[in-house]
Amino acid sequence: MYAMTRSVQAQRSGHVGAKAADLLSVKVLGPLLLATLAGLPIGAALWAVGAQMLDAAAWQALWADPQIGRAWGMTLWTGLASTALAWLTVAHVLASGFIRQQLGRWLSRLPALLATPHAAMAIGLVLWLSPSGWALRLVSPGLTGFDAPPPWFTTQDPSGLGLILSLWLKEVPFLLWVAATQMQREDLRRRWQAEYALAQTLGRTPAQAFAQIIWPQLAPRLRWPLLAVLAYGLTVVDMALIIGPATPPTLAVLAWQWLSDADPLTQSQGVAAAGWLTGTVLVGGVLMVVALKAFAAMRKFASRGSLPQSQATDRVGLLQQKTLKWVLHFCRRLPLQPNVMWTTILTTYAAVWFALTVGSVSGVWPFPNVWPELWTLNAWQQVASSAHTVWTTLGLGVASASVCLLWSVAWLELAPRRWQQALQPWFLLPLVLPSVLWVVGLYSLALHTRLEGQWLGLSLAHAVMVLPYVLLALVPAYQAVDPRQAALVASLGHGGWVYLWRVKWPLLQRAIASAWAVGFAVSVAQYLPTLYVGAGRFATVTTEAVALAAGAQRSLMSAYAALQMLLPIAAFALAAWLGRPRRFEKIAPMKATL
Amino acid sequence: MTDTLQDGLHHVMNDGLHVHIERLGSARQALVSGLRLAVPPGEILTLMGPSGCGKSSVLASIAGTLASVSEGLQPLQLQGSVQLNGRELSHLPTHQRGVGLVFQDALLFPHMTVAENLLFAVPVGDAKGTRSTNAQRQARVQQALQEAELSGMGERDPSTLSGGQRARVALMRALLAEPQALLLDEPFSKLDAALRAQLRPWVFAHVRERRIPVVLVTHDEQDVADPQRVVHLRATEESPSHV
Repeated sequence: MYAMTRSVQAQRSGHVGAKAADLLSVKVLGPLLLATLAGLPIGAALWAVGAQMLDAAAWQALWADPQIGRAWGMTLWTGLASTALAWLTVAHVLASGFIRQQLGRWLSRLPALLATPHAAMAIGLVLWLSPSGWALRLVSPGLTGFDAPPPWFTTQDPSGLGLILSLWLKEVPFLLWVAATQMQREDLRRRWQAEYALAQTLGRTPAQAFAQIIWPQLAPRLRWPLLAVLAYGLTVVDMALIIGPATPPTLAVLAWQWLSDADPLTQSQGVAAAGWLTGTVLVGGVLMVVALKAFAAMRKFASRGSLPQSQATDRVGLLQQKTLKWVLHFCRRLPLQPNVMWTTILTTYAAVWFALTVGSVSGVWPFPNVWPELWTLNAWQQVASSAHTVWTTLGLGVASASVCLLWSVAWLELAPRRWQQALQPWFLLPLVLPSVLWVVGLYSLALHTRLEGQWLGLSLAHAVMVLPYVLLALVPAYQAVDPRQAALVASLGHGGWVYLWRVKWPLLQRAIASAWAVGFAVSVAQYLPTLYVGAGRFATVTTEAVALAAGAQRSLMSAYAALQMLLPIAAFALAAWLGRPRRFEKIAPMKATL
Repeated sequence: MTDTLQDGLHHVMNDGLHVHIERLGSARQALVSGLRLAVPPGEILTLMGPSGCGKSSVLASIAGTLASVSEGLQPLQLQGSVQLNGRELSHLPTHQRGVGLVFQDALLFPHMTVAENLLFAVPVGDAKGTRSTNAQRQARVQQALQEAELSGMGERDPSTLSGGQRARVALMRALLAEPQALLLDEPFSKLDAALRAQLRPWVFAHVRERRIPVVLVTHDEQDVADPQRVVHLRATEESPSHV
């Protein structure tokens, strides 16, 4: 008996040993390979750009440049102002939407807003705001007496207001979308609703309950996306080229201009500028995290403010309490019903889409006329005749989004939680570091691998920029998966693949489809990598639209901008269709006799 | 003659579920140690104890799902043996163990109809390797619906069922997979008292009918299926309390 037990055990341990080797290959080598696949290009690109930055002459040229100070100031102003505005707006929209239980309905319109690329938004705003734009046409000559466009800087205004406006319009939907991926998670939604109700039974008003219970849990989850918004605001190029100030432009635009210069010294000056910009982003990010933490600490203190005044003896505490009271008072003044902010944003988007549509079919259109004198499909015919531009855009989008989706799913399935948490910041780096930095790194990487100016190299460069968005879109859905479901399926006698194909992935279908669409939209909107890594050999609807924005071909520019928007919208529509919830048979009315 | 008798005795001795947990816990601390459970076929053993004493982890060791229990915490490991009808299970993956699971949440798959949920569990072939036809599998689903008193509700969205109906579907689904042992993890705790009282005899009758060993985890004395077979687990001193 004893011998038998031993032999069984020996057999078992041998078996376990073989299994362990098997497991080692899948459980360690798989994730290791995946981590290398995604992490290596990022690291190599950073290494390459870091090496180029060690050039004293370049930095001297940068400091000696007369525009640098004001350009940097403009960068800080537009980036910080747009981020702060976006953050406040998002807090306000989420609060009023949550309190009135209408958030789900409001956010159902998000995909259309998200799908509108930055460049298209800027071009649409220019069509409205420029001196010859629709805004002035509507009131001219009646109110203004203008017969010709005035010599105003209403779009490339030297104070950067146009850029701030368009950044704000683009970043609010992005932040709302990230918040929605959290708030619409089944587990969180239930818990937060319960806690929100509970807080009200403890005597808090709905607004207080949201501010003290929901927001402190939600805000930390938005920290990374907010950092991305700040980074984007500080480093955006395509939008700033279209609607940002020109004399001087923002630092990112300046860096881009230098990078595309023929002179090697000017180029390395551009690399240095990209480095300076990166430093700005990093410092800004650290300051932002510190500020958010400080604010959270303040709120924590102030939420104890319901204690009798005598207990809040601390002077600083009293001051903070007063500040919070003032903030609450101010917030109460903001109209909640109907939500003005959200309505403004939706209306502006609708106006932009309308302007792009009308602009793309306009012919002759003299100034004070509200409508074109001539309608024509010329621009669209021109687009059709250069169909390869559209195909290139589609091909890059489909390839990079699909590769990133496959990678992300594999990563989330195979990598242990701890790996995922540890490496996530690394994979999100393309989201927070300036694109002028990435293009330098990716270009020299492409040079080393002889992929510069080639379709493969370009689509891989797109994939690097797309990956963080796809990952961000998928992670919350994966975190919401109930681990008991896997146990249950296995207990019914099914293996791992049955679980994935018939239960887990079908349940994640919606998240997977929308992650793909997000990836596609990000790829379509890429401007710098397409031009730089593609070595100017590849035209996409985005590069065309931005290039045309500097010229006078309004209809062609509008057509490309409209297309730049339509392609992602089509992708989102496809995703919505693929991810539509299943329709079950309607419940038959109860019969009186059973 | 004696051989067959011995064989028979041998079978009797090995039949049922035999669990011996030498140590169950993380590398740092043991959650359960020195626990022996023996459940003959057709019997229901009730495992009781306060929250956090490791009841569910014991079930997870039997089902081989410790990985999903320890998610987020330190991984739990089992030292010991789990034998079902003479077969050592502890090195097998869950889907080869033939151990059914029912949780306190019914966990019906939301993207499948009630009937599809049940069909998902019906094996395609039996132990002898004969494949059952689609019609045969569908017939078993219909029969299960009938037993759950849910005839005609097969095409319904599971979220439109009541709590009691969902619990019945979850049990029928587990039984349709023809498990050789069944584990019930606080199966009644989400139901109100009246419904519990109604559901208990129904569940016990159905599982006894299958002549398989059953382990029921609960913290409610009223759930005890068989007063002769109750095991109390005590919380270890440094055991982490449930949050």
